[in-house]
Amino acid sequence: MNFLPTAAQTRRAFLGRVSQGVGAVALASLLGKTSPPLHGAAARGVVDPLPLPQRAKRVIWLTMAGGPSQFETFDPKPKLAQLHGEAMPESLTRGQQLAQLQGQRLVCHAPQFPFAKFGKNQTEICSLFPHIGSVVDDICLIRSMTTDAINHDPAHMFMNTGSQIAGRPSMGAWVNYGLGSEAENLPGFVVMVSTGPGRSPQPIATRQWSSGFLPSRFQGVQLHGRGDAVHYLANPGHVSRAQQRTDVTAINALNRQHDAFVHDPEIATRIAQYELAFQLQASVPELTDLRGEDARTLALYGCAPGDGSFAANCLLARRLAERGVRFIQLYHRDWDHHSQLREEMPLKAQETDRASAALITDLKQRGMLDDTLVVWTGEFGRTPMSQQTKGTAGRDHHNKSMSLWLAGGGVQRGLVYGATDEFGYAATENICTVHDLHATMLHLLGIRHDAFTVKFQGLDAKLTGVEGGRVIQGILG
Amino acid sequence: MISWPNFRRAVPALAVLAAVVAARAEDTFYAQRVAPILEQKCVACHGEKKQKGKLRLDSFAHLMRGGEGGGVVQSGDAKDSELFIRVTLHPADEDFMPADSKPPLTPDEVKVLELWIAAGASATAPLSSIKGAPALAAPKAPVAALAPDWQPRSAQIARLEEELGVRLVARSHLPTDGLVLRTAGAPTRCDDAALAKLAPVADLIVEAELARTKITDAGLVWLATFSNLRALDLTRTRVTSAGLGSLASLGKLESLNLTSTGVDDAGVARLKDLPALRKTWVFDTRVTGVTADPAASAK
Ligand code: HEC
Repeated sequence: MNFLPTAAQTRRAFLGRVSQGVGAVALASLLGKTSPPLHGAAARGVVDPLPLPQRAKRVIWLTMAGGPSQFETFDPKPKLAQLHGEAMPESLTRGQQLAQLQGQRLVCHAPQFPFAKFGKNQTEICSLFPHIGSVVDDICLIRSMTTDAINHDPAHMFMNTGSQIAGRPSMGAWVNYGLGSEAENLPGFVVMVSTGPGRSPQPIATRQWSSGFLPSRFQGVQLHGRGDAVHYLANPGHVSRAQQRTDVTAINALNRQHDAFVHDPEIATRIAQYELAFQLQASVPELTDLRGEDARTLALYGCAPGDGSFAANCLLARRLAERGVRFIQLYHRDWDHHSQLREEMPLKAQETDRASAALITDLKQRGMLDDTLVVWTGEFGRTPMSQQTKGTAGRDHHNKSMSLWLAGGGVQRGLVYGATDEFGYAATENICTVHDLHATMLHLLGIRHDAFTVKFQGLDAKLTGVEGGRVIQGILG
Repeated sequence: MISWPNFRRAVPALAVLAAVVAARAEDTFYAQRVAPILEQKCVACHGEKKQKGKLRLDSFAHLMRGGEGGGVVQSGDAKDSELFIRVTLHPADEDFMPADSKPPLTPDEVKVLELWIAAGASATAPLSSIKGAPALAAPKAPVAALAPDWQPRSAQIARLEEELGVRLVARSHLPTDGLVLRTAGAPTRCDDAALAKLAPVADLIVEAELARTKITDAGLVWLATFSNLRALDLTRTRVTSAGLGSLASLGKLESLNLTSTGVDDAGVARLKDLPALRKTWVFDTRVTGVTADPAASAK
């Protein structure tokens, strides 16, 4: 698939391949093209028809930013507890990458909280997460994930785009480019960042939801959980909706004329975004008005409307999914426990445990879990070694082992996949990579990851990179 | 020069020879192993209807004639044969065949082509003469058609999409896998009248996503024409138990989502006789006897 216009490309070819949606409709009618129009912000995907059966229609990706420790969440390590305070075996750590522990003595650090058994399969997870424990029969826990990066920003880039270096399209952009977006009055890719009372964490950069070299209409649009969901969305007092409609229509007509002369996908983007912004003025207030949600639902998530919490964003994620949004990514920050692990971890658990489980329960009871893929993951894992350089003990960044979970959308329920060594230092069984995770996600969405490419800088660029990913067959339901 | 008597003798001989070849055509490696692969994976674009790259692969003669770029089979040398090269490129390569992300050849199928070309790419070599070809996969039960082929009605489908502002999306690359009716983009545009207008393509629709639309009990009667419907989502519509009687003829319906509708126990009772129904969601309705309390199910 090559969508970037070149001098040799005819406008017809360019249209056919790129400027789907609003811009395409207008231009297509100029050209007498008969494909049915799409309304509002909806767009057709480039992968049509789908080569694989579609198990998941949409994705809700819960990013636990900062890197949750697998030892205090999902990977029980009794041996590590026994060895607390002793030196890590050099055979494991010699010559391996370290982030902040460089030059330090590497000492085993016991899991700080007990694990408990949950569900039919008596899966062991940390006792700080009893709600996730209560839905463990509905999720697929992977204990053998690895990543390339060991610092936050490149690790986020890698998890989001398949490349540590900024500039690639993020997965939400890829998915909307491939499948198209359904909703006419909401973006196909929505991002929300929650706030909590925790410590001041690393900022979340908008480049994490960039569309990279795909047309920028595929980028993530951030909605805010607190205050105005979209800044500067309301019209000034003296401008009516009808006036605004006239303005947007006129501006877009001019833009279309311009687009007919120079075929630039960014003009199609601009047309689409003007239209989308106009639609958002009506759709966002409806989206964020939680009066239709009964008290039981609010209690299930444990949130108050508009409190900006992760829980409120989980509820909004469900509402976005109901309204046809293809890719929803929630960020919750402050998992970067270099220090104060014991003190701070319960707070993170409190903020996310009930809400994450509520999302699964709610999707399930509404019949939406079967075709919604939910992913809960950080950008990397943490070391079995303690870090003592910043106050009370914590753990450093780590990329050779991490835990994450998926649910719905065609993955097996109640499965624990993969394992780490007895220190939890490295994944040893069914080792997975981030590329594998992306390949699996695309597979569930009906797309063959190895054939889903865009020509860029002389390469057939893919979400799954040049090293290649493989679909994690063992977790498919 | 053949003398007349000789020629007369030759005629029956030729006839016999032809009969032998004809009988054998059934048993040749080409007919048994090569042609079925081309038929299944290539002829859609390289056959009577379409000749992409000016190449036809629906008979031995056509195959040997080659395409735009000349011959595609180099007898005895697979690695130098365009036919083989195209199917062994990286799947992401522009020139990879089959094009357009259609299902690629399996490694076994590639091996069959390779052995056949290496052995001389003959139309007549008997099946048994080429050793080492991977065994034929046990004949798979043909993928059951979920609905009639939608392709002959594609113009009508496009017109309805335009007129009604709904989407009718192919479920997969198999044209007999049916269509999904999507309305999530702008659900309020879809009402009873729209459902009625879909009648000409109703038998093609296997999944109807009608959540949050303006469908009412009155509109549900039109669903009786959706004879191949397997999944129906009526979440948050004004549908009530009274309307569910209209679903009685949907013998293939497997999943039904009634979340946040007006149905009650009487409605659920009406669904008892749907033979294929496996999953029904009744969360946030007046149906009793199921856990409708989210807090309870979250423990
Ligand atoms: C979806 C349509 C499609 C399918 C299916 C398909 N092809 Fe093609 N094929 C094309 C197009 C388009 C071209 C012309 C462009 C090119 O040469 O790449 C082509 C060209 C070719 C050529 C080059 C012809 C020439 O002389 O230039 C070969 C060889 C070929 N295909 C082999 C195959 C084989 C073998 C299969 C089955 C495994 C197959 N194709 C299936 C679309 C298809």
